Amino acid sequence: MIVAGLDMGVQNVKVVLLKDRKILSRGLAPSGFEPEKAVEKAFQEALEKAEVAFSDIQHITATGVGVELAPKFDSKISVVSADARAAVYLHPSARTVIDVGAEESRVINCDEKGSVLDFALNDRCAAGAGAFLEAMARALEVKLEEMGALSLKAKGTTSISATCVIFGESDVVSLIHKQEPKHEIARAIYDALAERIVSMVHRVGLKPDVILVGGVARDIGFAAALKRKLGTEIVIPENPEYAGALGAALYAVENLGGR
Amino acid sequence: MEKGFGEKKYMVELSEREVEDLRNSVKATSLKLMDEYIERMKKTWPNRPKIMEYFDEVAKFFGTREKEILKAKEEGRKVIGYTCMFAPIELILAADAIPVRVSSGIYDTTKLGNRIVPVEVCPVVRSTIGVGMIGFSPHLEVSDALITPLTCDGMAKLSEILSDRKPVWTVCPPRLKDSEQSMRFWREELQSVKAKIEKLTGTKITAKKLKTAIETMHRATRAFRRLQELRRGAPVIMGRDAMLVNQTSAWDDIERWTKKTEELCSELEKRRQEKILACAPDTPRIMIAGSPALWPDNWKLPNLIEEANPQGVIVADEFCSGDRFLFDPVGVDEWTMDDMFNAVAERYLLPSTCPCFTSEDGNVDRVNWLKARIEERRVDGVVYHVFRGCMLYAMEYTRIKKALDKINVPVYYLDTDYTREDVGQIKTRVEAFLEMLKSRVEF
Amino acid sequence: MWLEILSEILKLTVFAGLALAGALAILIWKRDLKTKVSYLRFFVQAAAMAALFLLFSYTNELLYVLIVIILLTLFLGRLFCGWLCPLGLYLDLMAVFRKALKIRYWNLPDKLNKLLNKLRYLLLAFFVALPFVLEKIEPWQWSLAKFLMGPFKPVSVLLGPVEPLIIPWESRLKFYGLNLSYPYASVIAFYSGESFALANMFLFIALTLASSFVVRRFWCRFCPTGVSFAVLNRFRGFRWIPLLRLNKVEEKCPKCGICKRVCPVQVLDVYERKGGDIAPSMCMLCLRCVEMCPYEECLKLNMAGRTLFKSRNWLEPSKIE
Repeated sequence: MIVAGLDMGVQNVKVVLLKDRKILSRGLAPSGFEPEKAVEKAFQEALEKAEVAFSDIQHITATGVGVELAPKFDSKISVVSADARAAVYLHPSARTVIDVGAEESRVINCDEKGSVLDFALNDRCAAGAGAFLEAMARALEVKLEEMGALSLKAKGTTSISATCVIFGESDVVSLIHKQEPKHEIARAIYDALAERIVSMVHRVGLKPDVILVGGVARDIGFAAALKRKLGTEIVIPENPEYAGALGAALYAVENLGGR
Repeated sequence: MEKGFGEKKYMVELSEREVEDLRNSVKATSLKLMDEYIERMKKTWPNRPKIMEYFDEVAKFFGTREKEILKAKEEGRKVIGYTCMFAPIELILAADAIPVRVSSGIYDTTKLGNRIVPVEVCPVVRSTIGVGMIGFSPHLEVSDALITPLTCDGMAKLSEILSDRKPVWTVCPPRLKDSEQSMRFWREELQSVKAKIEKLTGTKITAKKLKTAIETMHRATRAFRRLQELRRGAPVIMGRDAMLVNQTSAWDDIERWTKKTEELCSELEKRRQEKILACAPDTPRIMIAGSPALWPDNWKLPNLIEEANPQGVIVADEFCSGDRFLFDPVGVDEWTMDDMFNAVAERYLLPSTCPCFTSEDGNVDRVNWLKARIEERRVDGVVYHVFRGCMLYAMEYTRIKKALDKINVPVYYLDTDYTREDVGQIKTRVEAFLEMLKSRVEF
Repeated sequence: MWLEILSEILKLTVFAGLALAGALAILIWKRDLKTKVSYLRFFVQAAAMAALFLLFSYTNELLYVLIVIILLTLFLGRLFCGWLCPLGLYLDLMAVFRKALKIRYWNLPDKLNKLLNKLRYLLLAFFVALPFVLEKIEPWQWSLAKFLMGPFKPVSVLLGPVEPLIIPWESRLKFYGLNLSYPYASVIAFYSGESFALANMFLFIALTLASSFVVRRFWCRFCPTGVSFAVLNRFRGFRWIPLLRLNKVEEKCPKCGICKRVCPVQVLDVYERKGGDIAPSMCMLCLRCVEMCPYEECLKLNMAGRTLFKSRNWLEPSKIE
């Protein structure tokens, strides 16, 4: 039994293929302006890797912010439920799921079955998500991929506030003018984002184990900042950005009757 | 624009032409929107009773109800508007005046309100200001005077701003309601409003008239409670429709409203017996708490909940325009003028669970009210609806959340504004919440 | 002769009580449940009057009557004051009269009311001591008094309000051969001496009636009999005894204040207390608050765990079971 989970993210479209609840392959494509094409591309990648045909897929479950734009799916599920399912699948003792995406971040409490108990989403502003890091890296004139490693060198001598992407940027610029070292600023950036996520964590309650998923989970600087603020260990699975798609695929399995 | 109002303390000057243009465009959007929302309600509830069409008609602004009020005005009756449920409707009715609620639920006029107050201000206030600026709302415009309770900061300043357009009679509910001196103060506030009503209408409020008014409102409350009672068991009415009926009581002729609501209830009771349900019996049962969702524009959240996939049904709300509006009866001990007046005064102050009140142990009455509703309506989850700028409801959230956590009822905090652009984002949240409830129901 | 009159009077009283009960029963049926308890209470009060007459005609061992009432109070709270006391009936009738005239009542300031409540204990102590003092200065002329001034002197004072309208023994107030009485009448006559007896009696009647015309159940706020009934329940060790309990469900109560306003003796506890069993010594269990509370099952009268009467949405017409 082959099923697919499709995550229509803001930046990337992700596909996960499952066979008998085992991950078969993954596929990713930038969302761009033509979501249909992106979906096609992501599927193509996944199908090629798994060496199966599209017609072999028995059920597609879609999720994500842009779920309305998905061209074809059999069922849909919210990202929150998808994340919780994926988290428990990846790390059975996970009870708090932190998902930081490009423009949305979520904190979810779930039980051992992957059912959502409580959740919080960042408010409508993107300052609490990955887009914030992107804008800050731009202001700092470093590559986003390098900013994480850079921040690990810092001691934490300065801080910025992450109430707004625009104001954050001017904050960073004025710190540069004050000749604050770049690695310190980088750490301040991660701290600011982590602070916003932590306030969400406290809104739903911190229950170990904590698992961090979503694209931003790949960023070592952010993971370190979050660990510092929360004071607990954080599990980061492999391929954290596929959590949504994986959860959707698991839902597809459930839908077909295999729990 | 009204004459005889001297210096404009707040209002900005708009050219006749601009006012005309704005009024036309807002009117066109609102009319379209009201039709659309009614259609959507019909769609969600396929076997919607025919009697609901009466309430649809009342809910349509600039329709038959407005014409009726204008005709009554020509015949010499006065219309007294009010911004908030602290206004004593019995006293208005006793003076043979027509009470109408004027706080606005129209999105487009908030932009106008922004010219006078900052965007951080509660959107109900901004929208009502905008409505006042272009003389748009059928209810504000027809009012001869406004009773403006000074409950929250927004309402207090709204009263000042509206005084540029209409005579306003302020009544100030005390922040602490539990002491003898606050009751004394409140009684005096209402006495002065009573005198003003009598002066405007030229009708003396006698014991006989007040008794008739109280009895009229008793009948209305009875019908109102009967309708809420029907929202307890398996859903025989969709939440949006019940909310619409609740809200129309603030504009309609109250006796006719009572009659029609009783008819609706009889129909629904029949359906309950025959087990004709409005939606699946395992639909998650939602309560909306917090800032009031006012018809027409602010049907956003109710629409999202009841049209979502998985679907939810709103079985209770905590709005001063909804479940709380006519819930409490005036309890008269002896039908003397004094006791009736005291009973009216107490009814508007004491059972109110508005977050504008506080006490040494917090607004505990509100927590109890919510818990009681949750129990009797078997609520599965609470959506805590807060407008940006609605400080009182926003600040009490933590308290409510803690209380509801204790009784294991999930609550989701949802903040929004008078804007249509966040519909997508709210939808994600609402659907995730409903999915979560659905899985809880299944377990 | 004596027995003849007695049986005549007995018949008359029973007849009057039953007639009143019938009229009220019809009223209860006709009016909605909103006023049910109030009418029911008048019926019980009238019937109680007849019952007391019967009781007194079979025994003049007043002590036993008192013991019965005190035991009743121990188990049922001050139910006696609200539902059975003849003086209470007169005071309630004054309120009905006042209502018919559409005249408002006055509330005592809460502080004064509380002071009166405390005064009850002082009054009780005084009345218990009084017979002992008077014994030394007053000569006894009346036969019943001799009994009263025997070993159980305070009994007559404590049973003051219990005297029914017609008594099965000689009285000062005679009406076509009927021996009429009024609460405390015999006590007053006894202490006033021959020449002032009637004047004092009428003064007392006028004062109690007039005061309760202005302030609801004025006498009951400091009635020494009432407090002597309630005094036992004040002690912690006895709190478990009362079978009748007024109970409030905190969550259902939005504190609308109706219970506070309608209470004839201005009890604040029902309004102020958060929830659970409420038994202030002032409460006479007249149930006006339960009857007027518009929230379903918020206020209840429980007897040994069973609900006898509960608040309801009285806007709905009643379904009389």
